[in-house]
Amino acid sequence: MATAARPDAHSSPVGRGVEPLRAGKGHSFLLRKLHSLSGIVPIGAFLIEHLLSNFEALKGPLAYAEQVKFLNSLPLVRFLEVGLIFIPLAYHALYGVYIALRGKANVIYYPWSGNWMYMMQRWTGYIAFVYIIQHVIRQRFMGVSLPEHPGAAFHKVQMELSNPWMLAVYVIAMIAVCWHFSYGIWLFAAKWGITPGATARRRFGYLCAALGVILAVMGLASIYAFVGPNYKNAPDDVMPAQTRLVQPMPPQANLTVEIETHA
Amino acid sequence: MAEKLIQIEIKRQSGPDAPSTWERFEIPWKPGMNVISAMMEIAANPVNSSGQETTPIAYDSNCLEEICGSCAMVINGKARMACTALVDKLEQPIRVQPLTKFPVVRDLAVDRSVLFENLKAVKAWVPVDGTYDLGSGPRIFPQQQEAAYPLSNCISCCCCMEVCPQFNDATGFVGAATIAQVKLFNSHPSGKVLKEERLRALAGDGGVQECGFAQNCVQACPKQLPLTEAISDVTRDVTLQAAKDFLRA
Repeated sequence: MATAARPDAHSSPVGRGVEPLRAGKGHSFLLRKLHSLSGIVPIGAFLIEHLLSNFEALKGPLAYAEQVKFLNSLPLVRFLEVGLIFIPLAYHALYGVYIALRGKANVIYYPWSGNWMYMMQRWTGYIAFVYIIQHVIRQRFMGVSLPEHPGAAFHKVQMELSNPWMLAVYVIAMIAVCWHFSYGIWLFAAKWGITPGATARRRFGYLCAALGVILAVMGLASIYAFVGPNYKNAPDDVMPAQTRLVQPMPPQANLTVEIETHA
Repeated sequence: MAEKLIQIEIKRQSGPDAPSTWERFEIPWKPGMNVISAMMEIAANPVNSSGQETTPIAYDSNCLEEICGSCAMVINGKARMACTALVDKLEQPIRVQPLTKFPVVRDLAVDRSVLFENLKAVKAWVPVDGTYDLGSGPRIFPQQQEAAYPLSNCISCCCCMEVCPQFNDATGFVGAATIAQVKLFNSHPSGKVLKEERLRALAGDGGVQECGFAQNCVQACPKQLPLTEAISDVTRDVTLQAAKDFLRA
């Protein structure tokens, strides 16, 4: 037997079924770890920022506008937006769909809690995927441009949520995204070896669940700020002077002189 | 006195490429019967419930005490060892089918060589072969033994892989059993000489990263291996090894 060539796994009498480990080959480890990490930083960090910013809406249209203005005044804000939000988010979303499509959920046969959470993580991911695409297109790239007109932010969101279907979409997506993020933190800790022990995982699970509930309640409260009775019919733009007050106008006389000189 | 009968339905397939069909049997009940002994009864009198003569069921089994790992099959929808699947504790008709993620050889016998290939790929052994006497190995403290013992209980039954949503043709995931063996041999004072090689192997396609942490493995494992703990620990080690290799490259 020692002299016989080692039979290849795929030339065995049956020669089918799941492929053995491709030891040390390929890049899926790096891609998968980047996917996992990007869900926490920067996407998770951004989600928390976004929910905190939205929470300002409870203080009214002006406070919300101030927050939008503040975010858009951050140094290198367009770079931050593309480099720390758009690109990681697109990667996490597309690679996440790729991961989800390759898994074969079997909750029907094995209805265990971890298995349910496995399936829910994929479904909340799909919900977030569809929701975020429309959210970015409609709120960032369509209608009034908020970086230039932060005062219009409250009105823009209020108009969006005045449609009851859209309101339902936002409520469902808010819960799904908070679920996906909080269980994502738990998965991150479990999979990166931070919480190997069963007890540690259970305790950390309570912590993540609490975080998820807090984030979801905060998110739903800010949705309520837009549709509730407190700030009905918010003005189109609460900072209309924003675009005009760039610099004080030079005296009219000087301007005339300038023109004459050039003429 | 009317004889007490048990109903059992078995998914049968005459060869790897043959179509599969369900065949129903009614066999006399005996005390303490398990699924394997029920199939032994069928072999003694291979007649199905419609009175037709048929062939005995082909299946793998050996020890009949849940220690050899041969007789894993899907019984009433759950992957488990047939020898400890007691007839009195199962809902009837008992539906028995081969593991679904491994190629069928015949009836309930499946080809589980993928696990053997995976164990070889991660060098799941202690390398002591040589041309001279290596002497006695290093001492293993009782604390280390106690940590390693549960992992050494793996019987290679493949239940953890069968129930894993990530173990499939698309991912080619290595499965929990192999990862647990990596932890076992990496913790062995002589076995850990191959630690880095094992960790690098597990960073390949189909490696630890494919785990989705559904935790079905640890639920299904008939030997109660701490599989999720092993996956967590080994993934950390693989990640650290990958980072070291990147920085030392």
